[in-house]
Amino acid sequence: MKNHSVVNNMIACHQCDSLLPMPYLLEGQNALCGCCGAMLFSKKKDAINRTIAVAIAGLLLFFPATLLPIIGIGAAGLYNDASLVDCITLLIDSRNYVLAFAVFMFTIAIPVVRLITALYITWCIKFQQIKPSLLVFFRSYHVLDTWTMLHVFFLGVIVSMYKLSSLADMTIDGGLFSLILLLLCSTLMSVTIDQHSIWHELEKSLEQ
Amino acid sequence: MSNKALAAGLGSCPKCHKLNVMHASRQVCSRCLTLFSARKPKSIEYTLAWTIAALVMFIPANIYPMMVFYTFGKPEASTILEGIAIFIQMGMLPVAVIIFIASFVVPLGKIIGLFTLMYNTKRKTQLTLKQQGQLYHIVEFLGPWSMLDVFVVTVMAAVVNLGFLSSIEPAVGITYFTLMVVFTIFAAESFDPRLLWDNHQKHNHQSLSEKTYKNTDVLHHDK
Repeated sequence: MKNHSVVNNMIACHQCDSLLPMPYLLEGQNALCGCCGAMLFSKKKDAINRTIAVAIAGLLLFFPATLLPIIGIGAAGLYNDASLVDCITLLIDSRNYVLAFAVFMFTIAIPVVRLITALYITWCIKFQQIKPSLLVFFRSYHVLDTWTMLHVFFLGVIVSMYKLSSLADMTIDGGLFSLILLLLCSTLMSVTIDQHSIWHELEKSLEQ
Repeated sequence: MSNKALAAGLGSCPKCHKLNVMHASRQVCSRCLTLFSARKPKSIEYTLAWTIAALVMFIPANIYPMMVFYTFGKPEASTILEGIAIFIQMGMLPVAVIIFIASFVVPLGKIIGLFTLMYNTKRKTQLTLKQQGQLYHIVEFLGPWSMLDVFVVTVMAAVVNLGFLSSIEPAVGITYFTLMVVFTIFAAESFDPRLLWDNHQKHNHQSLSEKTYKNTDVLHHDK
């Protein structure tokens, strides 16, 4: 019984393993480790509603961001533009399968699954339909977080634009704007989602 | 000194950070049902294996061309460093700097950083714990950014496709480069930063006032 209270009222830093008393946070505060300074967790404002909003927006933006052409170039009467999906099909055509797989996973598959996962979890918590399967979903969310590379892809597009602008006439298409908004949603999601309280919520509801 | 969860027979879950009383070396988290250990099992071995794999991939990634640029049917292949040289010649210094940092300095720095971290978990070092923690953060944060060049080549190849006039095709080098980046991310993932603190505590166990070790018995074979 004594162990039980220790486990619930203490927290160990995931970076240096210091055992610390569980801090009580108000909304918008962060808890830092007193030993190494790593962030333990933070309490976010209105986390569930905001995450749902951002996730829905992100999922809606996914179609224009992947299907609309991002940039195009024209030279000597010829014109060509490419969307994110075009990039991947072209890689498959030129038999760069490893590359095609990596680009597909990091820019389409993982970000979209991450958005769906976050939406599903927050939706279920909001409407009080907590089931054990949510544990699996939220565990996978942690893995997906490290492998989302939309931000790097966006920087890649910017660098390509800079390179291309000197070679040919370059046009910017709707895909780029959708991509910027999608990236915004994807990044906002890491800001709004409150992992600590979601885990706490899941634990509380599943114990009963 | 601060006390560690490990010494108290507790372990924190790597996924949900819930504290658990450790009954066995490997057990299931009471909250999220992840199978975990108090320290990542064989952390250094896995990290070392992935880092060496990344280092091996770094060689073909730099020897083989990243992309082939066809102008009027005439192919012109360029490796990472050749591409950077071309940018400098063209006077596009900002792009040259970004590409040089993202695709040469960062991957190499990450590999060196990982080796340094692994060394720090085993031996006494000149680096303070704070610096080691920062190094780990940097290595972890940089993970995906090295993919920049891969995405640039992907976008360029898809957009510059004007038939005979000019087109770009990705070449073998980029595949090795992708594998290298993925391997370094795996390496950083398998590294357990808590080992750094464990090692520090082990070396400072006898005398806590041994803070002067930085200046006195510096390890000179550490290179």
